[in-house]
Amino acid sequence: MKRIIKTLISVSLVVAMAITVVGCGKKTPDPLDGKDIVVYSGDYVYKDAVVQLSSNWNPHTYQTTDQSYPIDFITSGLYSFYYNDELHPIEGKKPYEGYVILPEMAASLPVDVTEQIKALDNNKYGIPEDITSGYAYTIDLNPDAVWENGTPITAETYVYSMKQLLDPKMNNYRASDYYQGTFTIANGAKYFFQGTTNCADTMGEIAFEDLVKGEDGNYYAKDGDPIYLAVDFALDWLQGDTLKTYVDYYGDASFSLKYWDELAAAADEDGLIPLNDDTYAKFSDVTTGNANWGETVADVCNYFVKKTVYEDNYSFDNVGIFASDTYQITLVFGKSLAGFNLLYNLSGNWIVYQPYYDELKTQIEGTDAWTTTYATSLKTTMSYGPYKMTAFQADKAMTFERNETWYGYKDGKHVFVDPEDPEHVYPMYQTTKIETQVVAEPADRKLMFLKGQLMGYGLQAEDFDEYRSSDYCYVTPSETIFFFIFNGYMDAIKNREANESFDQSKYDLETMTLTSFRKAVAVTYDKEALCSAVSPSRSGGYGLIGNSYLYDPETGSRYRDTEQAKKVLCDFYSVDVSKYDSLDDAVASITGYDPVVAKELYKQAFDEALAAGYITDNDKDGKCDQIISIEYASSAHSAFMEKTLNYLNEKMAEVLVGTPFEGKIQFAESAPLGDAWSDNIRNGLSDTVLGGWSGSALDPFSVTDCYANPSRQYDAKWFDSTKTQLTITIDGKELTTSLKNWSDALNGDTVTIDGKDYNFGDGMVDVNTRLDILAAIEGAVLQTYDYIPMLQDAGMSLLSQQVYYVIEDYNPVMGRGGITYLRYNYDEAAWAEYVASQEDGKLSY
Amino acid sequence: MTKYILQRILLMLMTLLIITCMCFILIRMLPLPELPIGDPRSVVIEKQREAFGYNKPYLVQFGIFLKNVFTKFNWGISDKLYFGQNVADIFVQKLPATIIVNLYSIILSIPLGIMLGIFAALKKNTWIDHTISTLTMVVISVPSFVYAFLIQYILCFKLGWFPLLMNSGTNYFSWDMFLSMVPAVLSLSFGVIAGFTRTTRAELTEVLTSEFMLLARTKGLTRRQATIRHALKNCMVVILPSIFGEFIGIMGGSLIIERIFSIPGVGALYLNSINAPDYNMFLLITVFYCVIGLLASIIVDISYGFIDPRIRMGSRK
Repeated sequence: MKRIIKTLISVSLVVAMAITVVGCGKKTPDPLDGKDIVVYSGDYVYKDAVVQLSSNWNPHTYQTTDQSYPIDFITSGLYSFYYNDELHPIEGKKPYEGYVILPEMAASLPVDVTEQIKALDNNKYGIPEDITSGYAYTIDLNPDAVWENGTPITAETYVYSMKQLLDPKMNNYRASDYYQGTFTIANGAKYFFQGTTNCADTMGEIAFEDLVKGEDGNYYAKDGDPIYLAVDFALDWLQGDTLKTYVDYYGDASFSLKYWDELAAAADEDGLIPLNDDTYAKFSDVTTGNANWGETVADVCNYFVKKTVYEDNYSFDNVGIFASDTYQITLVFGKSLAGFNLLYNLSGNWIVYQPYYDELKTQIEGTDAWTTTYATSLKTTMSYGPYKMTAFQADKAMTFERNETWYGYKDGKHVFVDPEDPEHVYPMYQTTKIETQVVAEPADRKLMFLKGQLMGYGLQAEDFDEYRSSDYCYVTPSETIFFFIFNGYMDAIKNREANESFDQSKYDLETMTLTSFRKAVAVTYDKEALCSAVSPSRSGGYGLIGNSYLYDPETGSRYRDTEQAKKVLCDFYSVDVSKYDSLDDAVASITGYDPVVAKELYKQAFDEALAAGYITDNDKDGKCDQIISIEYASSAHSAFMEKTLNYLNEKMAEVLVGTPFEGKIQFAESAPLGDAWSDNIRNGLSDTVLGGWSGSALDPFSVTDCYANPSRQYDAKWFDSTKTQLTITIDGKELTTSLKNWSDALNGDTVTIDGKDYNFGDGMVDVNTRLDILAAIEGAVLQTYDYIPMLQDAGMSLLSQQVYYVIEDYNPVMGRGGITYLRYNYDEAAWAEYVASQEDGKLSY
Repeated sequence: MTKYILQRILLMLMTLLIITCMCFILIRMLPLPELPIGDPRSVVIEKQREAFGYNKPYLVQFGIFLKNVFTKFNWGISDKLYFGQNVADIFVQKLPATIIVNLYSIILSIPLGIMLGIFAALKKNTWIDHTISTLTMVVISVPSFVYAFLIQYILCFKLGWFPLLMNSGTNYFSWDMFLSMVPAVLSLSFGVIAGFTRTTRAELTEVLTSEFMLLARTKGLTRRQATIRHALKNCMVVILPSIFGEFIGIMGGSLIIERIFSIPGVGALYLNSINAPDYNMFLLITVFYCVIGLLASIIVDISYGFIDPRIRMGSRK
């Protein structure tokens, strides 16, 4: 019966769409305007080098950018981004100033069918009652899309692949991309977690007053899930520790232990006890009965854990994807998704080749878990993009060649007008072959590049002087801001100072926790000079959110260019805007470097540290007796690290002349910590590092999570974002809530402020309101001085003379066009001749 | 002799078992790499570990390990570098490149080293001997990766005689592939050549002054005949064992050379398995090197009997 209903609805959707298409249809003008498409001849080989070669490019399990490297060549998304040119014009924009999103593996743009899907099976996908759009779409598939062996790619391929992706037995890393976050397939989580119980730290988001008391006397969340108290359950805000760990360590020095043994004994295997009036009262006594722990009853909600029991044997029929025709899929989402974000999320793909996938997945002996070797070698890979893999040698090389079965080579749509030669239309993907090999050493990469054996070379510090002004040198901006994180975790600092090997008469760690000290450090360094000295491709960093972030990808508007973002910088650097002609001039005046103010602040820090007993001045000479030792968390010793620390110490020494700290502040490199550097910073075991966050350059709003979510914050152990209140004026009304709540609300969660629900997520409020909130959060975090912005990341590289970019300006969405638009000056034969004709066969850049 | 060889093989197997057991237990005693919280792969790795008996006593774990190795040649699944793939498969893929580069190096360096040593010994205290001895000392004192960079820069980049890196692919016996391996082979060989030159010169110089050499000359043999028939044969008692020792040394030295010349071999895999860490891979390669070492040792011991009949194998007297 279900199948009949599904079929009927599918047919009705197809008919509805057909009518729509016929109704709207009109003869489209010939986009080529009579121009011929140029036909390439010759071999064009793109020669690339990587430090590490992918060992797994399974679209369901890849994790790193190294691993996703082949995916860009051998797959296609449902929609693709292309430059706007004469063939794909955008009104009001010059060619190559923007981009268009066009169907790729899809045949047309998605059609919203939310209303129709809501009517299906008593709204089994759970679309909210009052919602009429944005939750369900049909997507017509490109019937010419086939696997490299010619097997058609149909709607069933998409459905099968999604089923494998969300299969709980497979434990796929990429599954979460589809059951949570922006692109949430309806009921995907229920299928993935079927038969399990998920215990989730509520992060203080649910107050006791928000709970509902059940008939059994226990408390439940509004959605009916039971709430528990975390006795021995790892909590994010405790950085993965449990309350029991703290109680065992501090005992009655910090807690009231009257009911502790009783509560600990009652904890289940997850370390939880059900929340009811009795347990709430006893638990509150433990955490609030001793003032040394510093919590009140209002903080007990930080220990709430929500248990969700997922139904066993959950049917995939309930998951929001089905084939509504041979070449049409219907997607149903758990959250509203529309416009740019919908198409952007569909620019990737999840399909796998069924015969290989079925053959390659194997059960791990003696367990109920499965694993797969799909897409880990040439034999286990099936391509469907512009290129197909033709050779693979683990840790050595991989080769891709044109996939002649790819529809794009024949459909006449994958063409563009080269601004250098507007009279002709050129096919995309001029490259006929891509040869990628592992070249671990930068020195080798440079030699190979100069011999014409590589298409690009990322400049190293020692190369900048020679090549930075080359015509072939390109700067590629990055979204990351590198900032100093300063240790403020007093417990850890005191523990380190208490260590026998630490001589408190000679060294001090506590002074660095003073705001005046950090303010002084913030204006000690000329950031542009620092970049020139240690990493010339980068530039000075002034805010927490980098220059590349676009808040509106459709218009290409950058967050840093907004009035809100500029005001944040002026406030933080104490620039009086009224003294300048414009806000832009005021921002332009910011250098972040003021040695005079720095000296005053160091004097202030000295007085405060002396008063607090952190340091001494026994001989009363007005100089600090101790050295303020700042341990720099080094992942691995390198020339860059050495150069950076030398520079920091040298410039610090210059500024400190004549201050009480003259010769008394030093950065010292830690032992190589590898990946543990971040844990050391979080736990206060090292004192500083130049760290940063990278994320989607198209979503600056999500960056706030890195600074306001205790599970991600570097400073979570000494800065509680759940308790730090921030007031922002929204629509003329002052709203006050925690920093974390603001961040969550900005990223689509509903939070309660003054008894009213607010959601400031994408599409929920106007973008200016979102920018106001983003800027306010950035300002609030900057004012903690836990993070001192130093460098704006960027890369600088040389491009081979064999090729050129059709457009040299960098576009955050399109980059410089990638392999799609890359044009060649020489084919392989001509290039070999050209290189041989150079002196010593060495190219000059 | 046969009995002795069998005894040595059994002894070797027992030694291998003990070494493997020690390595296995020491590796299992290491703290397991922490699994990322929230990563669904963590669940898979935990279940794999459970299946391999990680929660059981070490000897039980070792029993499970031996059973898997001997019944299915299953050395475990990679849980870091090549997640979910059989470590033995990866290892076997990478073995040929390492073996071939090392074999070429041995084929080049041993005859050359011995010849230079003979030449220096025969020309003892002449300028030829002094030149060879000085160069030998210089080469021995400098690590092989230094030559590697020099060879790469001069022969590959400046002169363009060879590719900068080893070619990709598995056609190891093609001319292009051979050419691409030459820089790595040379880098590995310099030290070995110098070592053999020094050893051969020292041994031969001593033997040439022996009384039996005087006897050989007096009974009418030419200098060449006496050197080849008597002096060299006596030298081999010392030189031959060092050939096998050098083989192990080259395998160790190739860890760095493989990285410099991008050789997809076991050396780089060994380093990566330590850094990752990928314990199953690490154990497999460790056992591999043990096997090579033990085999070399047994071959050396057996070869004594053939080189010098005065050395009696297995004799109790």
